[in-house]
Amino acid sequence: MAEKRHVITRRDFLRAGACVAVGSAIGLPLIGKAASAAAGQSRVVLIRHDGVVEASGNVRPDILAAMLDAAVVSLLQASEAAEAWRTILKPGDTVGIKTNFWGSLPTPPELDEAVKKRVLAAGVSTSNVAVDDRGIRSNPVFEKATALINMRPMRTHHWSGLGTLLKNYIMFVPSPWAYHGNACESLGSIWNKPEIKGKTRLNVLVMLTPQFHGIGPHHFSKTYVWSYGGLIVSADPVAADATGAGIIQAKRNLFFGEERPISPPPRHIEAADVTYGVGNSRPERIELVKLGWDKDILI
Amino acid sequence: MSLMYLLALFNLLASMNADISYADPLQELTASLPRQVMGWAVAGEDRFFDDQTIFEYIDGSGEVYRAYNLRQCLARTYSKAGSPGIVLDVFDMGTSADAFGVFTHDTDGEAIAIGQDARWRNGWLNFWKDRFFVSITVPEENARAFEAAKELGRLVALCIPREGSRPKLLSHLPPQGLQTDKTRFLHHPIVLNYHFYLSDENILDLSPQTDAVLATYQNANTSARLLLVQYPDANTARKAAENMRRHYLPDADAEGISRLENGKWASSRLKNQMLIVILEAGSRQSAADLVREVN
Repeated sequence: MAEKRHVITRRDFLRAGACVAVGSAIGLPLIGKAASAAAGQSRVVLIRHDGVVEASGNVRPDILAAMLDAAVVSLLQASEAAEAWRTILKPGDTVGIKTNFWGSLPTPPELDEAVKKRVLAAGVSTSNVAVDDRGIRSNPVFEKATALINMRPMRTHHWSGLGTLLKNYIMFVPSPWAYHGNACESLGSIWNKPEIKGKTRLNVLVMLTPQFHGIGPHHFSKTYVWSYGGLIVSADPVAADATGAGIIQAKRNLFFGEERPISPPPRHIEAADVTYGVGNSRPERIELVKLGWDKDILI
Repeated sequence: MSLMYLLALFNLLASMNADISYADPLQELTASLPRQVMGWAVAGEDRFFDDQTIFEYIDGSGEVYRAYNLRQCLARTYSKAGSPGIVLDVFDMGTSADAFGVFTHDTDGEAIAIGQDARWRNGWLNFWKDRFFVSITVPEENARAFEAAKELGRLVALCIPREGSRPKLLSHLPPQGLQTDKTRFLHHPIVLNYHFYLSDENILDLSPQTDAVLATYQNANTSARLLLVQYPDANTARKAAENMRRHYLPDADAEGISRLENGKWASSRLKNQMLIVILEAGSRQSAADLVREVN
């Protein structure tokens, strides 16, 4: 242990009031009372469709693609989807699409395909686009990426409380386990690494069949997923995650019939805001646009 | 003896093969496990994972099993047409202390009588017995499959012939007010930090060679969290005690007690090679009393 380095302990958080779960409007413990570090408001689009997930569990690619297009148009206030994607990406970009391959609840391949198609349509060459998860550290496209697109399903998670957009970048670091302390609170620091900072053009939090509770070593049961039929899209991963976290918390309370906080508390969302300045976690800093199906929207 | 147990015995005998040489306890146990239960039958090949390959099977929480010195994991699926599968995972933790320790990582749920301690939640049964931690999951709601999972658990427990000992360190815990279902046995700072975040560094020098118990106390008027750490040698224990004082309790008074920023009280004391830490207590008196009561 380095003698001169200040060791961060629980008492540092006690001083800042971090371990006192005062609860914010989205049901998360506040890291501190400091204002959001990110400037201004973050626009978040929540779009839903009751037919995107069929009764069989299959995803309708046509509906999903239409939802994606409508969301980016709204997010960027563009006149059409193609224009929106051209705003996000330039033909000279090298684009890493960070997906999530977790077996029980992966990013739908239909979404991977839809996004890749739109990246190519924006003029990016085929050789400069890659979709990857666990291989990103050795993937040549990701190594030279000028732009990143981040997408994953939201689910509860053993170490971090929630598997979020913020957490999806943990595969960029050589020792992911090093971020497990205090419910993965420092995940936001990954986003400030030089090879990542400022490159993420779009975040898509997949809420088609989100998971609101986990059990067992594999942390998965179909009992604890539901067909929500949504996508949350934003340039700000913190704002998108905070929005998704609010929905997960509401679903837990509804399902269990009592206040059932996400466990462990997903501290990393507010820490990404307050400590690392990655984005906005507080509702007053989030401009939420709701599109489409609104039954049981939970937010 | 019920028909089910006779069937298990039959399966055990039928599965025995004179050509098999049992390289380790998990292989030996695997050979005796039932092939069928309540209409569910083994599907596919058994798979085995060790502490290096466990992440190929369990994402994320695989770290938990490594933190308890995982030796090997057997993964087996039972299937039945038209019904959800049942996933059996048997973890050979090497010692009964570590099998118990993994079990204490998550003690939510309904206590049921399988193995040495067991819990049931909708779709997940886990228990420990001897050096094995056993998890049986049904990944969707199905009453018949839930019953089969419990029955499989009973049969697996019967295949483990011995019981194991709980960690000796538990015997040092003062009994009054102890919340036994919230007592965690551990070695690794990642597990300690999961249950009670202490520090971003391993200031207590926890390792596979150190046993630790995190206990919760609830008495009429106050609550407390107590940590005991047993070190392998006096030098390591002394250094850990110094680290605790320097990094966490630098403001401790002559009795070793500090008032925390949340108004609670903390203290530490070295007793031979055991470090006693009151992480939080509701009052100064309860912190002092609890330290004194550790035998």
